[in-house]
Amino acid sequence: MLKAENVVKSYNGSEVLKGVSLEVQNGEFVVILGASGSGKSTLLSVLSGLERADSGNVEYNGESLSQMNDKQLTEFRKREVGFIFQQYYLLSHMTVESNVRMGADLAGNKNFREIISSVGLGDKLKSKPSQLSGGEQQRVCIARALAKNPNILFLDEPTGALDEKTGREVLDYISRLQSERKFTMIMVTHNSNIADMAQTVIKMNSGNIVETYKNTERKNAYAIGW
Amino acid sequence: MIISLKDSIKLVGVTVVCFCAVFVCTFMLSFYIDVQQLNGLLTDQNMRLLYQAQKATAQVCAIVTGGVLAVIAVVMLFFYIKIYIDGHAKQFGIIKALGYSNCKIALTFWIFGFSVFIGCALGFGVGYAFAPLVYNGLAIEGAPEIAVNFHIELLLGLVVAPAFVFTLIACGYAYWALRCPLMQLMRGKTAKIKDKSYKANKERSFLKEMCFKTLASKKSVAFFVAFACFCFGSMMQMGLSMENLASKTMGYMILIIGLVLAAVTLFMSVTTLINGNLKNISIMKACGYSLKQCAFSVLGGYVPFAVLGFMIGTAYQFGLLQIMVNIVFKEVAEVPEYTFNIPAFFITFALFIVSYFSVMAFYVLRIKTISVKEVMLEN
Repeated sequence: MLKAENVVKSYNGSEVLKGVSLEVQNGEFVVILGASGSGKSTLLSVLSGLERADSGNVEYNGESLSQMNDKQLTEFRKREVGFIFQQYYLLSHMTVESNVRMGADLAGNKNFREIISSVGLGDKLKSKPSQLSGGEQQRVCIARALAKNPNILFLDEPTGALDEKTGREVLDYISRLQSERKFTMIMVTHNSNIADMAQTVIKMNSGNIVETYKNTERKNAYAIGW
Repeated sequence: MIISLKDSIKLVGVTVVCFCAVFVCTFMLSFYIDVQQLNGLLTDQNMRLLYQAQKATAQVCAIVTGGVLAVIAVVMLFFYIKIYIDGHAKQFGIIKALGYSNCKIALTFWIFGFSVFIGCALGFGVGYAFAPLVYNGLAIEGAPEIAVNFHIELLLGLVVAPAFVFTLIACGYAYWALRCPLMQLMRGKTAKIKDKSYKANKERSFLKEMCFKTLASKKSVAFFVAFACFCFGSMMQMGLSMENLASKTMGYMILIIGLVLAAVTLFMSVTTLINGNLKNISIMKACGYSLKQCAFSVLGGYVPFAVLGFMIGTAYQFGLLQIMVNIVFKEVAEVPEYTFNIPAFFITFALFIVSYFSVMAFYVLRIKTISVKEVMLEN
């Protein structure tokens, strides 16, 4: 279980997270919904161990991330976490294969080429990111995250840079994987339609959680509005 | 103005290299010219031979130092302009889209010639300030004193001409580098993507592959790392060996020049390398790669070049001193025999290992401070 208690985070004297508390169960699909500047991406960074909270506590399966030193946080990210970013953040001078291998090597995963094939890029192993479309680059990012065999997958606006068709494909693929592999998935988005796919929705505004609810009926990526 | 004076200040490496080149050339060439005063005044055969040899030494030192450092300064200038254009490709794209021609944009790179001018002018001034000391060091007992004279031709040749030539080179290279499609620049790219067919190579781990690709994408850094270690290896050993062959002052001077050149070149090239890889390092950190692994993937590929540079430097200084002692001073009496200075080699090698890895440790700390979020927010 991932648990945050009264998390506060400021940048340049401005409080971005104002005492946020939440709980995410293992295997749950949670969407953090909010407008630009609501603090959702900062919350994702703190929950994933990319950044430290100024105060408050973040705990994962009983281990406090706030108490960890840099080395332990690195180890935590290596062992547990996968990331999918809006801007992909692929290594531009390396091939698709090497980019995915970056995640796979950390987990000792030798089957990374199968993962590349499973995201439909089996024929683009030797291509560079600049030779791929936005959707393909996002799929490389997904493959890289999955190759780590993460227990928690953090997604920051994964469809933000994609057109509707590609965005739906990507969401469909990720949500199917989550159902199969049962990893925890925390997705940040400003698109309220995507929230219909999640089990739990956390709404944020101005650094606070303003509403948390569970969807009684989850929609698939092709049934949601855009 | 597209490029500000502040941008030219970043070329401190070029300034330092120009300073060192002109500094050495100034007092050596000045000595070469002034020593002609003694023509006809020396009656002793051995003294005449010694002055001939010193004239030859001054000439060789000025040509070798000036030549090598001028080439390095040109390469550094190209390197920095390329990095500058790559880093500002989008801005140049926008400016071109607004209607500015390549030529007009390239002309603004004249300002990079300013850093060369500063380095040369300072080197010239300091070179003349040190000239009496050098003349004293090279003076022969019993011979008339040589006066230090100002030579306008040296000012023109060592300050005005290099500044002018480097300004032309900067503008010309910038013009060449900017000749890529407008849309490509707007997307932040300058070099065309080479559609090379992938050669099947050995199965490498990600870290080794990253190390290899970083090296392949920043080959010029390998050159500068090797050059820095070349300077360190050659000039430290030469400086330590000079005490017996010339004077302590000359030894210290060579040693200091070597250390300054090595430090500036190494810091400049590795800083550029780290800055150019901030995004890659932050992605690796986010994924869970340790500091050591991040540092290895970016810096590890350059270690063989550092060692190679040091070894070439060792051979170079040995060869140069051999030529000086056994060929230039061959006919002069009382010149000590020169053999490879083994203690100097081991002292320099130990210092090289400690210094190189201390610099790398400094950059590991720099990597530690890279904030993953900050880097990502910048994009």
